[in-house]
Amino acid sequence: MGAGVKKGNAFTNNPIVKTVGTQKIVVIGVIIFLAIFFSWMSPAFRQYSTVVSIFDFSYYVSLMAIGVTFPLITGGVDLSIGTGMVAAGLFAGNLVNQQNLPVGLALLVCILFGVALGCLNAFSVAKLNLPPFIATLSSMMIARGLGSILVGGMSVTWPAGATEQGWFRSIFRLDANGTLIPVGFILILALVIVMSVFLNHSRPGRYIISVGSNKEAARLSGIHVAKWHALAYIISGFFTGLAGVAYAATFQGIVPGTGAGLELDAIAGVIIGGTSMKGGYGTIGGTLLGVFVMSLLKTGLPFIGLQANWQQIITGIVLIIAVFIDVTRNAKK
Amino acid sequence: MKKKLVVALLSLTLVGTLLMGCGGNGGDTTTDDTTTETADNGGDDGAADADTNDAPAGGGENIQIVSKGFQHQFWQAVLQGAEEAAEELGVTINFVGPNSESDIADQVQMFQNAINQHPAAIGLAALDTEALLDGIAQAQAEGIPIIGFDSGVPDAPAGSILANASTDNYAAGQLAANEGWNAGIRDRVVNANGSVRIGVLSQDATSESIINRGLGFIDQIATLVEAEGLTVSITGNTRYVNDSAVEETGEGGDVIIEVLVPSQVTNELSAIDMQTLLNKEDTIVIYGSNQHSGEAMVTGNATIQRLGVGADDVLGIAFDSGATIKQAIRDQLFMGAVTQAPVAMGQAVVQLAVAAARGETVSDVDTGAQWYTADTIDNPEIYQNLYD
Repeated sequence: MGAGVKKGNAFTNNPIVKTVGTQKIVVIGVIIFLAIFFSWMSPAFRQYSTVVSIFDFSYYVSLMAIGVTFPLITGGVDLSIGTGMVAAGLFAGNLVNQQNLPVGLALLVCILFGVALGCLNAFSVAKLNLPPFIATLSSMMIARGLGSILVGGMSVTWPAGATEQGWFRSIFRLDANGTLIPVGFILILALVIVMSVFLNHSRPGRYIISVGSNKEAARLSGIHVAKWHALAYIISGFFTGLAGVAYAATFQGIVPGTGAGLELDAIAGVIIGGTSMKGGYGTIGGTLLGVFVMSLLKTGLPFIGLQANWQQIITGIVLIIAVFIDVTRNAKK
Repeated sequence: MKKKLVVALLSLTLVGTLLMGCGGNGGDTTTDDTTTETADNGGDDGAADADTNDAPAGGGENIQIVSKGFQHQFWQAVLQGAEEAAEELGVTINFVGPNSESDIADQVQMFQNAINQHPAAIGLAALDTEALLDGIAQAQAEGIPIIGFDSGVPDAPAGSILANASTDNYAAGQLAANEGWNAGIRDRVVNANGSVRIGVLSQDATSESIINRGLGFIDQIATLVEAEGLTVSITGNTRYVNDSAVEETGEGGDVIIEVLVPSQVTNELSAIDMQTLLNKEDTIVIYGSNQHSGEAMVTGNATIQRLGVGADDVLGIAFDSGATIKQAIRDQLFMGAVTQAPVAMGQAVVQLAVAAARGETVSDVDTGAQWYTADTIDNPEIYQNLYD
């Protein structure tokens, strides 16, 4: 793969490479390598159920990651997505269990909760000019505490798949006469396409990129920086709410006080996918690929006998390599 | 214009968040009201009983019970048991608890109030022993006996707590092993071609209660396997491997016990642990030692679908309850589960308190645990101990 990149013009001028992007080609290569490696090492890995499991556990991270790509592109960060996702899932799930709210409405509440959190971040960052790290660290704590208070400290279980209210679980995994179809992946792909078009081909998207690449230049060229800066955090909040839906659909009990740390999985995925920590550059497609590297490692490593702690070490190493590629690229520029 | 719109939007969402907060608080208050009411009723019932109970059965003692709160339905069941025992013994109880398990100061206040009423005895489930030390000393000085319950009063001064009514977690783990063994594990072990694997999913390797539930299960399974003339080995988490009674480590036994503990307590990592066990062909049983692990078993099985009670299925055993686990038992996804006995715990704390108040010698009571399956889940003596 390294050699492939170094082929220089012949490689980078290839029309496919040009459209897809160098880093993404590398990441796709890594994904293929990992898939082949795990399949070769473990016969149990070569099962359809493994694919469905990898998809299943990737949805909530993918959604958080798509959202947090936007603040990262502006050169900021959103640390509140993990606890925010859990708080949204707790609050909306509690309404279903305690107030008999129909699940459809609860999903909407879950998303709106995320948007509200995004608005709070947008206000702190774009209006109060707080550093994004501090602003979203604060809202991360607020979301964690608020989630517990809103449900009285008790864990919340959304309706089970077999029950009448449990239909929402098939949004992501459809059971067609015993065959499991990971329909969530199609949804995620659709969102990736929509958000890619939004980022690269719509005016707001271009403005968000310009905030990240050179805030001052953007301001001088008449762009309302605060507005588009705020929008990035609201988008992140919206996807936090969507992630809450995916989290509730995938898992059983949602426990108050949890969620801290999950945002780092998503952010790591975004960085591996080629979004620059410095801002001004990033792609949604890359983010999805980055998340898949993480998911493959998480699910695959236990198959070759490497337990939980090893998985974190290896993910850390992959992250260092990804950031190193980013740094080298910036140096070349 | 657009700026105003954004500001308006932001304000709206902030107000929305506040409203959500209020809504939630509203819910909270209702819960509090109900619990307070129930608690009051408990007191009233007891009082009424004491009044009508002129018969020599009861001395009409006043027993104060300070719990950890009413958040969990578990505590409603403890209250129920306490009321039953109070009625039986002809005593008055006043059952109180803070709003949440983090309201330590509230519990200190409640404990102080309890002492000030000069009761015949006090039942106490401490949130923070340190914070209660003054009160404990005062109660001792006034000769008010204290009985611990649930997790008791850990590290209390020697002699200050006369007895405890709590779950023996090691015995509860053994119960899961014995019942599971008779209900199908034995057949799979004895009739196996080659070695078989028994998985243990643990949320952590730090909490005493969870470790004991794990070790009780592991040690008992090992005893049962060895009684059949087969060998056992243990692999996985170091703490469990070292503390269990199983001598041989690694994969060499006829029965291999594998204990998995996630590096962090997240739904995803525990579910992946579950899948790791399910993906091993020789796995015949998986035991999850608390509600979190039981739920991870359901999540992990959703894509692999090997759990069940059929001849070729992997048997699942859970601990405690909750909506998901109860459903899994009913659907026969799990062969069975062990529940603690909060009702018996409530009864025991009152019985111990009354005995202590009457000057009898008291000693610790294991309030027990029960095995339940799809067939027995609706039996009243089981169902009263299950919660959502």
